[in-house]
Amino acid sequence: MRRGPAGYAVHPVRRAIARGLWWLARAALVVAVAAAVAPVTLAAAVSAAFGWWRGWPPRRLYAAAAWCLPMVTVWLAAVAGWPVRAASRFAAPPGQSLRPRGLVASQARLPGASPVLPPGVGPGPVWFRVAAAPYRAWLAMWHLAWHGHLLAAAIAAAPPAVPLGIGAGGLAWAYRIFRMQTGAGGLTPAAPAAFDERLWRRQVRTAKALLAAPGALPLLSPNGHVVTGATIRSVRHRAGRSAAIPYTRLRSHQVVIGSTGTGKTTLLLRLWAGFMAAGLRRYADGTAPRPLLVVLDCKGGASSRKVADRARRVLRDAGARSTAIWPDEASLSLWALPPDRLVTTLLDLIEHGTGGAAYYTDVMEALVSLAVFAPCGPPASAADFLARLDADWLSATYAAAGDFAGVATARSGKRAFEDVSLRFRALWRRLGAGLDGGGSFADADAWYCILEGTAEAAVAEAQARALTDLLASYATGGHREILLAVDEFSSVSRRLPIWQLYERARALGLAVQVSAQSWEGLAASDDERYRIAATAEGGIWLLRTPRPGPVAELAGTRSYVDTSRRLDGAGGWDGSGSSRTRLVPVLDADIVRQLDVGQVAYVYRGGVTYVQVKRLTGRQAALAQAAVRDPAAGAPGWAPDGDAPAARTWPLPAVRAAGVPDASEVLDEAFGARRD
Amino acid sequence: MALSARTKVTESESRPSLPKPTAITRNGHKMTNRNNPGFGHGPGLAVRNADALVFAADMYGIQLDQLAILTGGERSARAAVSRWRSLGYAETARLSPGPPWLWVTRAGLAACGLAYPPAQPALSRLAHMRAVTAARLALEATAAYRQAAPFWRCERRIRSRHGIGKTAHLPDAEVHWPDEAPVAWAGECWAVEAELTRKTVARTAAIMREILSRTGDYGCPAADAAVPGRPPRHARALYLCSSGALSTVLRARAQLGPLGARIEVRDLPPGALL
Repeated sequence: MRRGPAGYAVHPVRRAIARGLWWLARAALVVAVAAAVAPVTLAAAVSAAFGWWRGWPPRRLYAAAAWCLPMVTVWLAAVAGWPVRAASRFAAPPGQSLRPRGLVASQARLPGASPVLPPGVGPGPVWFRVAAAPYRAWLAMWHLAWHGHLLAAAIAAAPPAVPLGIGAGGLAWAYRIFRMQTGAGGLTPAAPAAFDERLWRRQVRTAKALLAAPGALPLLSPNGHVVTGATIRSVRHRAGRSAAIPYTRLRSHQVVIGSTGTGKTTLLLRLWAGFMAAGLRRYADGTAPRPLLVVLDCKGGASSRKVADRARRVLRDAGARSTAIWPDEASLSLWALPPDRLVTTLLDLIEHGTGGAAYYTDVMEALVSLAVFAPCGPPASAADFLARLDADWLSATYAAAGDFAGVATARSGKRAFEDVSLRFRALWRRLGAGLDGGGSFADADAWYCILEGTAEAAVAEAQARALTDLLASYATGGHREILLAVDEFSSVSRRLPIWQLYERARALGLAVQVSAQSWEGLAASDDERYRIAATAEGGIWLLRTPRPGPVAELAGTRSYVDTSRRLDGAGGWDGSGSSRTRLVPVLDADIVRQLDVGQVAYVYRGGVTYVQVKRLTGRQAALAQAAVRDPAAGAPGWAPDGDAPAARTWPLPAVRAAGVPDASEVLDEAFGARRD
Repeated sequence: MALSARTKVTESESRPSLPKPTAITRNGHKMTNRNNPGFGHGPGLAVRNADALVFAADMYGIQLDQLAILTGGERSARAAVSRWRSLGYAETARLSPGPPWLWVTRAGLAACGLAYPPAQPALSRLAHMRAVTAARLALEATAAYRQAAPFWRCERRIRSRHGIGKTAHLPDAEVHWPDEAPVAWAGECWAVEAELTRKTVARTAAIMREILSRTGDYGCPAADAAVPGRPPRHARALYLCSSGALSTVLRARAQLGPLGARIEVRDLPPGALL
């Protein structure tokens, strides 16, 4: 029992009656005001209900109200410029004041009646006309409604009432959200959670409806941003219909984490196509070099080939002239590396031991250097290189050039040549022809490199090392804006730690996009994982994953009003309680765990946007299916027994009849063997 | 069994409206199965080895040694030529070193039901004609070809049906493989090119691109010739090269990048050169 101001106890019944009367008076006042401004009330109710139904943030209702301002401006200009004097000269009798009567035609014909003026129009100076226009329109609305002209009344009140109503609806919707988010709304303490769950469902439904609308989400927005999908909800980010990120963020490091089957590939394809389209637009404007996308798919197998085919289709639609699929359809030349870099790369491709093996490493380095720095120039192919691993040939070559130190080195390491040659023969047999062709990263707009990280991890590791060296060498030229996308790179990063790749790319101006199926798949150690995620300036894309905690921790916190409620006996909760502010993670880990397929949380600069990704499909109906390479079958043009093929005199990529069925059966019989 | 011309005419007149066995390929062309016994028994085609006559008409002209491969021997080839000449269906002349050439006259073309403009083979094209003929004979001799029975759409047929101007590049032939053929490449359409002389690499690469990117039939509206998004008309292009042209073709194919995977480069078969 509470006590009054004088210390006397207030009877609960009296207190309840007083409270009821207070509520009644307040409700009556609200109803009276709402009835008086009925058009505004109606518009506010409709807009608030619409915002609730579509799950819109209040900001969008405010924006809708702002879009009504041109209408209001035109209406006010018409009111200010309406020729009231001219109208009164013809209609008003002398000595009678002018009073707006609305558009009642019968009154205009009566002798001595006031002039017929549109709603909101009246006499006075311009500023007074503008200031009084809403009031006059309101009067005219009621006048028309009183006479049964409801449609005319609605039209009369619309110019001021619609924007005011939408704005008021936005405020009401914002207040409702605020109450529920702080735990102060609803009948029970569980109401806010249920409200949020239902709101999320409606927001998802709205986002999906936007995806289904034809042409609603183009790949690039008018200002050149890359549109990834429809916004479901945003926290500390701008809440727009579409989720678009600037091109510059794609030119920064990004991280993508998502389990299998959550839509990671769809998201990546969208980002790659957006990078290509935006980059080509900038290239066409002359503001940037031509873009180059290099994808290292470290899983391999048939699934990677399917993704490569999809990537080729969407990139073609995005404007890419050509997409090379390595090593199935195109090859690169390791021998294009500068000689000093070539020596380092060749040595890195061979696994070395520690301890006593360092001696052999030094011997190998000396012999490889001899072969690469031979006076006749660096080798042009694997066969050329292997042919040089001959002590007699090297001695003769260096002697002819007068380099007797080289001759001495070749002679002293004579016994090791066979071993070194054997190791490199084995290496090239395993690597295949993909690194021994004549191609370059300059030959295509996009390279999709498939590394058999699952089936042949050792080979894939060597390939990854060589490819990154080649790309780094190419990037030093600065001819292209490069995005390097690596998927499950940790499976092949034993020789090249991913953080090293990261740092190296940063130094060269490359953007690296690291994707993995889980937080653990990002890198080998937790330290590396945090280092990668913390330096992702372009943001982190988080699809459904069972362990979003580390990313949520990196995303930061925000202040949150937490309200408690007092339990009032056995009847329920009363309206009293206490609120306090506390910090909660910006990224809701529970939402991430429950994300559906195609939904992603984009974490960037302490905010998060939940996005329903728009699937990108190539328009090409039927494209060649990439042939699944059989690593065991060896590569064309390379003899497993080490017989060197003839040296080529022009760059000739390793071309295979990929994408079309093998017709060698009939062609060989009719015309003999294939000519390569 | 050898039937005389008179007997054959009587047979043909007794069933003048027998349709030729046809099939529809994926590209919408009617295919006539030359291996079918009913082939060539239309009204007016009163000769033995009717398929050889149609073959000669399709290829502009044919040398007798190649005709002998069709008829099964030199003796039967000479007999067929003699009969065709007596009927006015064909003419022969020694146009180049080697065996004489045979070409089908207006009457012969009418008898075959072909609407080609009759003409003696141009001297400048004799070597090319022989090469293409040799390629066709070699391909038709394979087991897969006999089993699948594809349709060889020759350049003369393409040119005459659609009235292509001389500026447009046409393949030397198209091979349409039926959808139901028991081969892995069933349903494909191949372009066949016989390369005897060495063009520039750029020109050869341009022709390759045109062939591989074409989506419409020859003679179709220009807007349909190469429409992005539609499947290409030719699944692959078969380049049959002389030793002199081989390096150019290989370099041109290398210029195509990944597209070059759809180019098959082979040597011309033996006996293809004049």
